[in-house]
Amino acid sequence: MKKKLVAVLLAATMSLGLLAGCGGSGGATSGDAASSGSSSEAGASGEIDTSKEVELVMYVISDRPAGQDLVDENLNTLLKEKLNCTLKINWIGWAEYAQKYPLLFSSGEEFDMAYCAGWLGFANLAQRGAFMALDDLLPTYAPDNYAMQSESALQQATINGKLYAVPTLLPTYTTYGSIYRGDIAAEAGITGPIDTFEKVEEFADYVVANHPEMEALDQYSAGPELSLVWTRMNGLMDVDSNMRYLFYDPSEEHPTVKAIYDLDGVTEFYQMCKEWCDKGYWSKSALADTDSQKTQNGKAAMRFHNIDSWSGVCVLHPEWDFQYGPMTKDIAHLPYTQDCMVISNTAKNPERAMAFWNLLTTDQEVYDALYYGVLGTSYELNDEGQFTILDTDLYATNAMWAARTMDLNRNQAGVPETYDTLRQEWEGKIKEGVGAEKFTGFVMDTSSISTEVAACTNARQQYGWPLELGYTDNVEASIEEYKTAMQAAGIDKVIAECQKQLDAYLESLN
Amino acid sequence: MKKEGFLYEFKKNKALFAMAAPAFILVLVMQYFPMSGLILAFKEYQYNLGVFGSPFNGLQNFGYLFNSGTGWLITRNTILYNLLNLITSQLLAVVIAIFITEIRAKYFKKVTQTVILLPYFISWVVVGVFVFSIFNYETGLINTMISSLGGEKVNYYMMPMAWPIIICAFNAWKWTGYNSVIYIAAVTGVDGEINEAAEIDGATIFQRIRYITLPSIRPTLVTMVLLQVGRILRGDFEMFYQIVGNNGQLFNATDVIDTYVFRSLITNPDIGMTAAATFYQSVLCFAIIMIVNTVVKKIDEDYALF
Repeated sequence: MKKKLVAVLLAATMSLGLLAGCGGSGGATSGDAASSGSSSEAGASGEIDTSKEVELVMYVISDRPAGQDLVDENLNTLLKEKLNCTLKINWIGWAEYAQKYPLLFSSGEEFDMAYCAGWLGFANLAQRGAFMALDDLLPTYAPDNYAMQSESALQQATINGKLYAVPTLLPTYTTYGSIYRGDIAAEAGITGPIDTFEKVEEFADYVVANHPEMEALDQYSAGPELSLVWTRMNGLMDVDSNMRYLFYDPSEEHPTVKAIYDLDGVTEFYQMCKEWCDKGYWSKSALADTDSQKTQNGKAAMRFHNIDSWSGVCVLHPEWDFQYGPMTKDIAHLPYTQDCMVISNTAKNPERAMAFWNLLTTDQEVYDALYYGVLGTSYELNDEGQFTILDTDLYATNAMWAARTMDLNRNQAGVPETYDTLRQEWEGKIKEGVGAEKFTGFVMDTSSISTEVAACTNARQQYGWPLELGYTDNVEASIEEYKTAMQAAGIDKVIAECQKQLDAYLESLN
Repeated sequence: MKKEGFLYEFKKNKALFAMAAPAFILVLVMQYFPMSGLILAFKEYQYNLGVFGSPFNGLQNFGYLFNSGTGWLITRNTILYNLLNLITSQLLAVVIAIFITEIRAKYFKKVTQTVILLPYFISWVVVGVFVFSIFNYETGLINTMISSLGGEKVNYYMMPMAWPIIICAFNAWKWTGYNSVIYIAAVTGVDGEINEAAEIDGATIFQRIRYITLPSIRPTLVTMVLLQVGRILRGDFEMFYQIVGNNGQLFNATDVIDTYVFRSLITNPDIGMTAAATFYQSVLCFAIIMIVNTVVKKIDEDYALF
């Protein structure tokens, strides 16, 4: 009998064992403890002792360019001389970042710096103790960088009362808009930017009728962007970039958080989506199509995205004369943590890393060496100081996007002039503390509702995306279905929590 | 009779123990030690506190699977798909194995076997592209054929009911050749003299298959099925993800536990919640394999796995 029991237990554990691939790293290091002692080592002036040579390790997300060795060598010679350190850049490829990135912090691996961003789960990781707190480190070892940081940038990088990231110094904007083929618009006789749904329709009708070889609007499996454009046109803000089904109106004094299907005019909007789908603006199998580069490869005439995507396609295909139609009513800065640099709680040399960051964001020579490589070999500059990567098979700009600053960053040769004028125009429109800008410092903490958020993410994809692409016979019934699914997923609890945090944020401003 | 203790056994069979030791240690280190990570299913994981330092949070991690009512649906889908795939791919594999061993023409036999095995080496990512080019509405193979014959195009991506068949067909296409290799070995292992004797006695080819070949490969068949049943709650993530992709309209008919977990947590990864899902799968798998094994044991003790 006993033997049998043992056998059963053995079998039980065996079959359980099949799953337990991810084992334990017991490396319990406390970020707070590591940072608290560090400031005492600095002199009164914030000078750092660089007598010992160290190797800094930095993680970025992108595919490693084939010619990177040469770029690294050049940069390291420079760093050795300026800071007595070398930098080892580890690249996580696009194909594997979703699995690998969170593991960086759970594996206990020792490294100093990493690129981080909202879309990599900055707030989530910070709440879970993945990073070292920088409250002392940043002002002490990177004083010049710290001086350039705006109040709201620092606020966004502060989670649970501690500063966990160095935000970017290059502002980006919430503007979404249409990126479209200027040559085709001219053919269709459309003048002026396409920045309303009526004009989009006029353009798309023309493409469907005259360019059957391409899709009018670029849609693919990563999900539609139309609802975001629609809400931005109406001046609404999304609560979190990972929850683009919850919106509020920043112009109200006490904004209420609403699910997308409860917004005014949503039925008409979805009706329009269905009409567009029926007219053949996009494929009826778009969600099965994994081709993300249809616009830049001439297979689609228009897509909705931000201004940086636009400048990207402009450089690739000047002959198609890509144009940009901004479609955002209430422009604000995107959170500065959109691109940021974090220090791992396993960092061996956080002080030197911060000193390096200070140098990188203030010294053009170091910045160029990291970001563009070797002048004459990997890149060249034109008279206006715009860069061109010389051999794109071998070299690319660095992926540490958080290092870009207004002063040091260069435009790529071929970026249209409107890129700068539009950005200046937006910068002029933004008023500190008014409208959408008032809410840029708001960071949603989803840790208490992670269960519901996970279920809602899924329900939105299952019911929201098809609706937005017009894949339905009865719009109103589908909206009802969407609503029911979201409610079952616990949207009410999510809304209540978002409302609570938004109110608390407003409270903190006053 | 007095039972001898473990120490006595050890002393008596030192050499045998030494030979078993590497395998034993390997299993212990690779399979049993990592199991302690299961504890994460009941914890709120903190990077700075590690696996064992993180605080417990009860059953909260399981919530997203069941609160919205999808837990039952995806469990059902996973089991049904695996059953369907198990039956079709094993059945076809047996048929093909018998067919191939009965063929006498050498070159035809080799070519057939190779062609059937080839899909096994094609990645699901590529298969996903096949599926899209066959079934998509505007330029898909089937719809182009339909419209050139003057028919009305069919939007397969809005027809959930078509997908269990499509998925099952592709699964069989990919796995049959691979599974048949094992059965070919089993069929070839049948004593040729029995077949010859049956032939002389006037048995037809079907009678020989029915009364000689099939009973001879029964142990292999049962073992293969039992091994598959042990994985019945694990959806083949790559297959489902690459074939179905992000088509929400199809999810109710095509979602398995693995794809649901992936989609729910892709934007907000949470180690505890992922661990909870695998924990759930493993416990159910364990229960199912125990039940099936007991049933098999009742019928014929020799066929049971343990």
